[in-house]
This record gives sequence, structure tokens and C-alpha cells, in this order.
Amino acid sequence: MGPIQVKCNCGENNCQEWAIIELQGVIEAQPQFQDCLQNLEIGRLCRPSSQETYTFTIGYHELTGSKVKLKKPLLVLKKVKHSDEEQRVCSKSSPAVELDVIGIIRQKILFKTRPKALISSSKKV
Amino acid sequence: MDKSGDAEAILDLQPKSSISVAYHSDFGPHEDLLLLELDEKLLPDVLSERVSLRGEPDEEAVFCTQSKTYAIKFVGNSNSVFLIPPSNSSSFPKNAMDCDEQNLDQPASASVLKVASGNLELVEVAPRLDKLKLLLSQKPFTIEEMSEMETFLESEEQSSVYRWNDLIGQIQASNIELRSGLEALKALEINGYWRIIDENCMDSVLNMLLHNAVLNDWSLDALPENELVSIMESDGFPPKISNHCLKVYGNTVDKEDSVSLWKLNEKQVCVHFAKRILNNGKVKKDKFLAEWKNKIPNGMQASFEMLEGEVLTERIGVEIWIHPFSVSSLPSTPAKRFSILFKERPKWEWKDLEPYIRDLKVPGLSSEGLLLKYTRRSQPRPDVEPIFSAR
Repeated sequence: MGPIQVKCNCGENNCQEWAIIELQGVIEAQPQFQDCLQNLEIGRLCRPSSQETYTFTIGYHELTGSKVKLKKPLLVLKKVKHSDEEQRVCSKSSPAVELDVIGIIRQKILFKTRPKALISSSKKV
Repeated sequence: MDKSGDAEAILDLQPKSSISVAYHSDFGPHEDLLLLELDEKLLPDVLSERVSLRGEPDEEAVFCTQSKTYAIKFVGNSNSVFLIPPSNSSSFPKNAMDCDEQNLDQPASASVLKVASGNLELVEVAPRLDKLKLLLSQKPFTIEEMSEMETFLESEEQSSVYRWNDLIGQIQASNIELRSGLEALKALEINGYWRIIDENCMDSVLNMLLHNAVLNDWSLDALPENELVSIMESDGFPPKISNHCLKVYGNTVDKEDSVSLWKLNEKQVCVHFAKRILNNGKVKKDKFLAEWKNKIPNGMQASFEMLEGEVLTERIGVEIWIHPFSVSSLPSTPAKRFSILFKERPKWEWKDLEPYIRDLKVPGLSSEGLLLKYTRRSQPRPDVEPIFSAR
């Protein structure tokens, strides 16, 4: 088995930037939605002022956090498995697994305070 | 104004605005998506495709740049980490329906593709080169093979011999570290395969070289490369092998005219002959010294200090004996190295121990650190040498 090359289609300066929202704890959808979360709204992210502070309203909870630059960037890698068919067609030395760099993360919005319970359920604009 | 959603919308969120965050239409575990934390300085190598993962399926993969090797560790995160791709991500397009809905009145939204449970990080490690010696020792290059070298025909896949491309798939080291390892083993690429030359073969080449030097009245400090290689060829030694012998046992000499000259390295040559004498195990020291003096070329001086890291001395009764114990035959990982050293001898003085750990390199650990970690230091009285033993 040969070495697995780490490939990157982005080129040196073009890596697409992904984002991360990080919060403590776990978000649970209501039971009836557990199996089809796709497209379900989680909450609303708001930036109230020109500062890099953010609020995240999920259900009747409000989290407060800030945008943080990561000490070290994170690369988003995708493991690509070549099917047996593809392997036979390609040269014998091409490996069955490839690792592609598909994005980079340099900043995240981090929420580390305790959630504040909102008394009314009015949505913030 | 580009109203693209997703990562951009999050990162460029303007003051006094908000966006909806939802699960992506393709939300799921996406176990094929990994996050790797990387030092900024390694980014250029990764982005220009100069890194690879190396190792066999039964080994833990290592991450290799051109010159360094890193272990890959997964670090879990108890926080919920929502991963949001850029909206024009080719790997994860949103539904066509979403695009239709995107008009100037529609507020931007962001979609969470995956909740990451942690990320991978890299820890620099020493290259794992012990396996290289193991592989290349399976079939050392012999005198018989040397005589067949010129007529070598690659008729079928050779077994137990390795090409560069085989080695990079099996040895967990970067290209530069692998080349270094091959050089340390004095390996030679013959007919596309990297080979260790066996002791008897090297001995025959060296002896023929010395013999020719005497015959032609050449100084061992100024051997003419071309003439020597040519004469050795007529003696049945392929140029590639003679050249390798010069590299192993000598150094080039700077000269003004275009004649390439070599000077034999006294230590390399003397150690070679010492090892030949010790091939049969332990010898009485004075007997050894007499035999050694006889074997080495005229004009060379052997000193016992040359054998540090190659022999161990012990007192049996009133006599002093020595036996071969070569650092090059020991494992390169510290834990295994110290284990073998203490099995050989439970207690060591620093001056005897040092040559056997001098070559140990662990990123982030100094030699003091190594001693602290793997040995117990005791000094019964302040006026005696400290003793090192197993932890």
C-alpha cells in the first residue's frame, strides 16, 4: 500500500473558509423531529452591536458569546474511498483512500456562558 | 451585494443583524469529514500537496511532510461544535429549492452540516526507522550477487527486496528522514532496489581496495578515484560497489585539478577490522589488540577509543575480555533501547552509557530528559561516579 497523498484543490491562498459555532452542552430536538433534523431551524444568531459579541437564541434560551480567532487553523478534510472498479481502472499504485482538503477554519463563534432563560418567547430581530 | 448564506453569513454578520441557523439539508454524521488542527507553518506544505499519510493498515498512520513525521491524535471535545460550510461549497450544495428562495427580501441563513466530536492534532515524532533495517536485512547483498550484478535481468518481481516506492509505503518517515536512514545504514540502490551490503562483501571490496593501493603505491590519503575504480573493475568489482566502498570508508579530498581523490577514514577502516576479529564473540583484550594491530593497513593507528559504541569490556577473574555490542544493532525507540541496555548490563557509568544513547532523538526531549524518564540515577558517595540503572 502506498502513501496516502493529502490533496488540495484550493491552491495556496484559496482554501474556502468554513465556520464553527461552538457551545457547551448538547442541543436536543423535540422527539418528533429526532429522525429528520435536516432543514430544521436550530435558532437565531444575532450580533447586537459593532462589537464581536453574539447572542444565539435556541428555543427559549439565549446564549452570549464572541467571535474568536483559532490559535491554530483547522483544516476540513474529506476521506475519499475509491471503489474497487475505479482502482482497477487507475494505475496499480493509486491508493484506495485519498484525503482531500476541502476547507479551512480560522475563526469560531464560541458560547461559553450559561444560557439565559428568556421569559417571553418573542423573537429578536 | 452577495447574499450567499452559510459560513460567509456567519463570519461576516454585520452589526445589528441576525441570521437563522438551521440543520443543513444534508445534515448527518459525515464520518468521512475530519477536522485537523495544523500549525500555520505547515499550511503551505499541505495546500501545495506535499504531505502524505504513511504506514501499513495495521499501524497507526503518521503524517509526513517532506522532512518531518507526526503522529496523529484525536482530541475529543465535549462542547457541541457546529460545522458550517461555505454556501458555494461544491461538496455540499444546498437544495435547489433554497436557491430559488434566496431573493433580496429573504434574510440570510446558515446551515450546520455536522456536529464535530473533536479534531485531529499532530505531534512531532522521531521517524520510525527500525523497520527499515529489518526490511533491508532480509536479503543483504552478497559477493555472489555482486558477481552477477552486470548481467542482472529483472525477470520477475523480486521478493524481500525493496524499491524506493515500496519503502515510502511501508516506512513511517518523511522522504528526507528516509534518505537519512538509508545513508545511516550505508545502503546502496542497486538495479532500483535499496540494499544493505553484507559484511563479507564489504570486507572483500575493502581488502581489494587496500591491496591495489599497495600494488600501485598510492597513499591512503590520496587515492585516485578513476584509476582505482577502473582497476577494481578489472578485478571483478563493479564501479558502483567500489564507489560505495570509497564513500563508506573515506572522504573526498579537495584538489585543484580535476582528479578526484579520496582519503580513507582511519576510524571507519579500523573499526571494520575490529568487527571482523570479534565476529566469533568475546576475546581477551590483549589478544584482540595484537590481532587488530596486525590486520589494519600500514600507516594507520588503531586506538581502543575508536570502539566506543561497538564493544563492551568486562573483567572475568584477573583477565579483561571484550565482546561486540554495537549501537547500530539496537532499537531506535528509547524505551526499547534502554530495556536492551539494562538487560545487557544492569548498571552503567555515564562514560560507558553515553555512546549507546548519543544517537537517540525524541522531539521535545533533551538527553537529560531521556535519562530522567528511562533511568534511575544513583550516586552512593559524592566522590564516585554516578550509576544509571533501570527505572
